[in-house]
Amino acid sequence: MSVVKDTRKVTIKAWRFNAETDYLPYTKEYTMEVGKDELILDLMNRIKWEHDGSFSYRRSCRHGICGACAIKVNGKSVLACKQNAIELLDLFDNDITLEPSSKKRAVKDMIIDKSDFWEKHAAVKPYVVADIDPRPEAESKQSIAQFNALLDSDLCIQCGACHYACPALEVNDAFLGPAALAAAYRFTADTRDEATEERLQITFESGSGVWDCVKCFECAEACPKEVNPIEKIGKLHNMQFEHGVAIPNVATKHAEGFLRGMKKTGYLDEADIVTYSEGYLGMYKHLNTARKMFMVGKIHWHSGIPFINSIPKIKNLDEVQKLIEISQTNKL
Amino acid sequence: MSKNSDIKIYEYDAVIVGSGLAGLAAAKELTEAGKKTAIITKLHPLRSHSGAAQGGINAAIGPEDSTELHEFDTVKGSDYLADQDCVELMCTKAPETIRWAERMGATFSRNEEGNIAIRPFGGQSKPRACYAKDRTGLALLQAIYEQADRAGIEVFDEWYAADLLYKDGKAYGVAAYDIRNSKPAIFNAKVTMFATGGHGRAYRFNSNAHANTGDSLSIVSRHGLPLEDMEFVQFHPSGLGGSGVLISEAARGEGGRLFNSEGERFMSKYAPNAMELASRDVVSRAIMEEVRQGRGVGKDGQSVNIDLTHLDPEIILTRLPELRELAIAFQGQDMLKEPIHISATAHYSMGGIPTNINCEVRKSPTEMTEGFYAAGECACVSVHGANRLGANSVLEALLFGRHAGENMVKKIDEGIELYPASEADAETMLSEIEKIKTSNGNETVPGIREELQAGMTADAGVFRTKESLERQLKLIDELLGRYNNIRIDDKSDTFNTDLQEAIELGHMLEFSKFIVYGALNREESRGGHYREDFPTRDDAKFLKHTYAYMDKEFNMTQEWGEVVLGKFEPKERTY
Repeated sequence: MSVVKDTRKVTIKAWRFNAETDYLPYTKEYTMEVGKDELILDLMNRIKWEHDGSFSYRRSCRHGICGACAIKVNGKSVLACKQNAIELLDLFDNDITLEPSSKKRAVKDMIIDKSDFWEKHAAVKPYVVADIDPRPEAESKQSIAQFNALLDSDLCIQCGACHYACPALEVNDAFLGPAALAAAYRFTADTRDEATEERLQITFESGSGVWDCVKCFECAEACPKEVNPIEKIGKLHNMQFEHGVAIPNVATKHAEGFLRGMKKTGYLDEADIVTYSEGYLGMYKHLNTARKMFMVGKIHWHSGIPFINSIPKIKNLDEVQKLIEISQTNKL
Repeated sequence: MSKNSDIKIYEYDAVIVGSGLAGLAAAKELTEAGKKTAIITKLHPLRSHSGAAQGGINAAIGPEDSTELHEFDTVKGSDYLADQDCVELMCTKAPETIRWAERMGATFSRNEEGNIAIRPFGGQSKPRACYAKDRTGLALLQAIYEQADRAGIEVFDEWYAADLLYKDGKAYGVAAYDIRNSKPAIFNAKVTMFATGGHGRAYRFNSNAHANTGDSLSIVSRHGLPLEDMEFVQFHPSGLGGSGVLISEAARGEGGRLFNSEGERFMSKYAPNAMELASRDVVSRAIMEEVRQGRGVGKDGQSVNIDLTHLDPEIILTRLPELRELAIAFQGQDMLKEPIHISATAHYSMGGIPTNINCEVRKSPTEMTEGFYAAGECACVSVHGANRLGANSVLEALLFGRHAGENMVKKIDEGIELYPASEADAETMLSEIEKIKTSNGNETVPGIREELQAGMTADAGVFRTKESLERQLKLIDELLGRYNNIRIDDKSDTFNTDLQEAIELGHMLEFSKFIVYGALNREESRGGHYREDFPTRDDAKFLKHTYAYMDKEFNMTQEWGEVVLGKFEPKERTY
């Protein structure tokens, strides 16, 4: 008869580094029996308390509400106090390495310098802008529908998991990132707030605003509270149109270019998107890409030349056009 | 650690330690009044444990409710040990305070009319808990932080305040160090406030954050100042069976029922009228009694079941979404489909740093300190007496935090002078750190801490006797001795959390002695303090506040302070 064990003996790796004293980071291994209800935070505590007291990490509430203990395990963002350890051990075949959310910002082991996160948070005016009655006799009214319109964006615990998982941020230091943009949505969607236009303007800025999101959904994947930042970024796009903040530029015309193609042929017309959003002169920037696309048959010699309809039309195009007509609320 | 000559001395009008609801509310008032204010927190303000409050915040705003009912429920809940003038202030200002939080942006759940929604809670005669789903504390903490931030508060986050500057009855700031690089500094101020929260980490089975190590309690007592009513620790009825992490009272408020292993809805034996919504101390004792009599559930029989499966799933999904997720994450139990294992967990400290109604710290039952304030869970004003009602803690923190801020503004305007600090004021902190870093014994911080915590849960927990308390007192004395012989691994100056845990353990050992000592001297049962050898309340002898003092050798003395009575005469307390 086999005995079913409640624990599993594993060797956990941890990324170790003290920015003040170490020249290079290194990895250390810790062997322990892991129980089925243990969380990643329990493992970190056991490394510190049973193996090496110098192992350093942030933690406080231990039930997923304070946001202090976000780290990465094998590159995957987790909130340590809510992530079951066995689940990850199964996922990664018992070979896991605890890492900081962002290695290049590491101060000591799992602890990173989050100043960029907080600077970006501060940049979106993360508070209700209104004259606040210090001794109100009644609350402001807010319908259940208006409350629901916040879409749980107020549940963000500033853990930074999405921020340090965002590939757009990784290559674009100016980008506000998913957490700050979700915060921008949270206050802009609040009926009590009076800074709608200003915040929409901030989030419209090219380079830093919502138009630099590459819509990869990494933030939604990384968020431990299911705030779904990409959904809020999408909402901000729409709100910018609704409030007349969006103006025609490469980004907005690029978005519109998709629709234009759909309307015209029902297909995505790559060449047309470029000409529409960047103009004929702008096309020259992309000649090298165009050459490659031409080589693999994605565009043809006549693509992008006016008056030549190089893209066939889909069947039932009229139905697609009808759908666009009835669903489109925003126009540039 | 740097040499004395490197110690920076900052000068402020006000310095506040702790950045939860109480600290932030005070800082906002001070900053808006133009007072130069520093907040010192060992976390980031948004990590403060106020944010973990789940179920609600009380205010008599319901159509059938009244301020007087709120007062009565609070006083009855306190087992008549609360100071009724403070309770009156709190309940009177509660509606205004909650609406102020709402105007600041707190995301309260709404009723059909678009007003703040309310739900029933334990020990309350009417639905009174205003809530933001099951994350009320988070919504409040965010709102007060956001508006304090907007007002321009100055925060020293990830700084550890290690000592109070206090001489001749006057507080004049704190000594602290930057956790990031261990650089020490003096924060010299006209007025000083402690708002450092709770001490639940002294117990093995607790609902508290790792940060809740009650540092300020022993920092205060090391200066010869008293702590009040420390024996009153609240054990919350619904901690998750394995970890003690909280399942809010909202689970019972929304209709959750408690069952033992025999499927019996046992509360009918202990509180036939209020059932699951009796006061927390009553429900916790009932749960532990069922467990003691062998009717517990779970792996080790240490839990009971809370069942919500009879509720409309929509209620759970819209009003208790976080709770459901917690039970799934921690025990793999989905409350939509099955009962959840819960057990009584150390949750809240009714006692603390004694203050008057204006949040000024007392030097004794009858004398005051100067320039020193405290509010929130670390303080004892006392509105909770021997047992706190659910949804009164965040109310107290926000309301008295703001009240403290207003009183500090007044004090500064009246012209309180700055008592100048010098580098020598960092000496106590520096030698404490030096001692820990150079101590080279064979004891470990986790080892001593685990012994303390296990003993506190077993011998100074829900049920107490003279024998159990004496055993724990002896253990603490032994651990205080062994603490001198610790060794930490981390000797670095960068984010030395090993050092911080050692400092915190020193505090935990000292204030735990107040809990046990107070419990030993209080030979009666009242609220959260239950003596099996003295199972009834004894108003003739013990309708009094405990004021306990500790000397440098950890010897203790105590005296009694008067309870402020008022419109509610002490009566027998049944639910």
